[in-house]
Amino acid sequence: MIGFEPTEEQKMVRDAVAQLAERTLRPRIREVEKLRGLPDDVQQAAHAMGLPLAAFPEPVGGSGLGLVTQVLIEEELAFGDSAAGFALSGPGAYGWAALQLGGAERCKELIGAFLGDGAHQRFGAVAWGERKASPDRAGLVTTAERSASGGWKLRGEKAYVLNADRARSFIVFAQVDASAGWNGLGAFVVPADARGLRVLPRVDTLGLDAASFGGVALDDVEVPEGARLAHGGDAGRLVTFFATQGLIVAARAVGLARAAFEVTRDYCEQRKAFGKPIGHFQAVAFTLADRCMDLEAARAMVWRAAWMWDALSHAADGVTEREALLHTAWAVSFALEAAMRAGDDAVQLHGGSGFMRDYPVEKWMRDAKQLQVCAMTAEQADQLAALIALGRPVDPALVLPGAESQSVFL
Amino acid sequence: MTIEFSLSPRQRETQAMIRQFAEGIVRPESLKWDREHGISHDFLRRIVAMAQAMGSSFMMGPNSADTKTVEVDAETRKKRQIGLTTIVSAEELAWGDAALMLCLPGPGLGGPPVRASGTPAQKERFFGVFADMSQELKWGAYALTEPGAGSDVAGIRTSCRKDGKHWILNGRKCFITNGGRASWNVVFATIDPALGRAGHRAFVVEKGTPGFSVGKIEDKMGLRASETAELVLEDCRVPEENLLGGEDSYRTKEGFMTAMKTFDTTRPLVASMAIGIGRAAYEYAVDFVKQNYVLSRPIPRYAAIAERLARVGRQLAAARMVTWRAAWLADQGEQNAKEASSCKALAGGAAIRACIDAIEICGAEGSIAGEHQLLQKWFRDIKVYDIFEGTGQIQRIVVSKRLLPELKSF
Repeated sequence: MIGFEPTEEQKMVRDAVAQLAERTLRPRIREVEKLRGLPDDVQQAAHAMGLPLAAFPEPVGGSGLGLVTQVLIEEELAFGDSAAGFALSGPGAYGWAALQLGGAERCKELIGAFLGDGAHQRFGAVAWGERKASPDRAGLVTTAERSASGGWKLRGEKAYVLNADRARSFIVFAQVDASAGWNGLGAFVVPADARGLRVLPRVDTLGLDAASFGGVALDDVEVPEGARLAHGGDAGRLVTFFATQGLIVAARAVGLARAAFEVTRDYCEQRKAFGKPIGHFQAVAFTLADRCMDLEAARAMVWRAAWMWDALSHAADGVTEREALLHTAWAVSFALEAAMRAGDDAVQLHGGSGFMRDYPVEKWMRDAKQLQVCAMTAEQADQLAALIALGRPVDPALVLPGAESQSVFL
Repeated sequence: MTIEFSLSPRQRETQAMIRQFAEGIVRPESLKWDREHGISHDFLRRIVAMAQAMGSSFMMGPNSADTKTVEVDAETRKKRQIGLTTIVSAEELAWGDAALMLCLPGPGLGGPPVRASGTPAQKERFFGVFADMSQELKWGAYALTEPGAGSDVAGIRTSCRKDGKHWILNGRKCFITNGGRASWNVVFATIDPALGRAGHRAFVVEKGTPGFSVGKIEDKMGLRASETAELVLEDCRVPEENLLGGEDSYRTKEGFMTAMKTFDTTRPLVASMAIGIGRAAYEYAVDFVKQNYVLSRPIPRYAAIAERLARVGRQLAAARMVTWRAAWLADQGEQNAKEASSCKALAGGAAIRACIDAIEICGAEGSIAGEHQLLQKWFRDIKVYDIFEGTGQIQRIVVSKRLLPELKSF
């Protein structure tokens, strides 16, 4: 069947999030921006609704609503505030990394720490990015070596880490086998209070001000053998992890594009020039029409890719992982670019007012650009899509966001 | 209702069958048809026989089920306005040869207005023409465009006036697909140009009607196997029972709406055909790259070519999703004018880009006639998809008006 309508359950969740977005997030976007984080009451409300764990499978402690529901939630949240999804507490990308690279059992164990009282103040973080590539080999500069006690010793500096200063635990990626390039990685669970781990100062960014971006320095941090995720070195799984995180960001891009489009359309109906609403000039109206088409297409593409991952997890409908990756790559690059066009045109059609912080559109333009360097860039997604279309193996060197190509915030 | 994207087993079966047919039987003939400006009746007869044997009308254009079932109950009509199977089939068939679809016998674009506005007796009479094509192939056609009125449909000048039990039509129609060989044309005329849309009347003008003649048959850039005719109406005497819907139905704006409603069902179909051509070019480019570049040696152009292929693939995927959604909305009995125009605009643009890029990706090779004639044919065929059934600009006008309720005209 082909269908474009959420189930009753999905509609209930979506409508509840839409209400939160409309009543709480949108009116406070500037406050949240100044606060550089979501206020406690918003975090509490989101947790009370079960948003952070909605999509995770039931066996690991989630609600099992799947990725389609997740992208519906993300669009609504981002419609309220495009930074909200990034600033929301809970396991987030940390949880997905645990699931995809550690397996269900490990994920359940790690997610457990994000449940219960005070859960709304707990963050996880993924420490992947690095500022500079190794001059003499492929892969990550941060290394993991065997320690005397039979565990691992991590050394290096991670950058572009979302929620670094808030996280209680990290999943740190490091080079285990220096000669194996992107196939020689490992993923390690490292508590924030581990000896030798130093959280680096938060960086100021172009957009997504409510989200905290920073890094961690690892000075011979020792972790036990059990800290290593079983499949952290599996390049194929890493690509899937980045692609699915990219898809979640793409859903936020759809929410951002919708916000920018709707506010701009309303403005173009009210603002008059030469005796009529500016929207009644073709140059303006056609721009609005193009952004509307972008939005329709981006949303449907994100839905389709999300549906494929859900189908894949149920081994249903004959969907293959390569197909899901292809549709995800298309959705990611299309949605990210659509959001950028939406933000850009929103400021443009508001004219001088758009440049002023009295209006929300300049935030959306900055946030749209920032979104484009989170999880997976359009360029990486394009390389991924092309490799699949050409029937080639997915080369992690071309697709994973290394410092020598384009690092991303995650 | 759900969000899901798996074709039903029957749709998949149909898709696979048409794909096989397009590849094995249509493609090898495609260039010959293009050179000869037509498709042999023998070939078309075989297709008709095949379609009948399958008990399916998927090849006969939208709503062609009416050739067999004249009266469709209201519920069925509501539910099956376009049919996703038709949309999926159209893409596959156009992938084989786009002109073939336009040449298929049956009511063609003349079908939707007769179905939407015809009286039961008219439907029986005019669709009955196609009940038996074993001896002779028959076509219907849709004659709206005039030398002085293309996109501006309201500006038609072909006149009609009542004379006893007849209407007298005078004027010229141009660019009419299958108009010359049609058993009947749905001809739009006006009782008084000053009345605008309210003055419009739609007639079924049968071949052989006194005063009706076929003018020039056009020589075109592409779709050369399809007949594009000029129709001349000189004191053409049309019986009053051929006024579509009967005189009473024109008390409201119905006349113009008849013409426009047709587009809500045909635009997704045309969009789907455009996507089929675009996909043909895209796949051609992918194969070319596979054979000539990437697999044999490192290519400096690789990343740029990969990016371009990915862009083409994703734009087609975007257009396809909006097309499916427009068809799905129609099938749900919901308004889809905005989506029908959106998908048409997206598909035309994406498919033209696909053909242009495919030629460029093949480099100088791509422009050499001989081996790459098919690619060049698609390049010639595709342009009109951003022109007929409403230009890209017209689609944006339609979308703008749906976005800005206050906007009546530019």
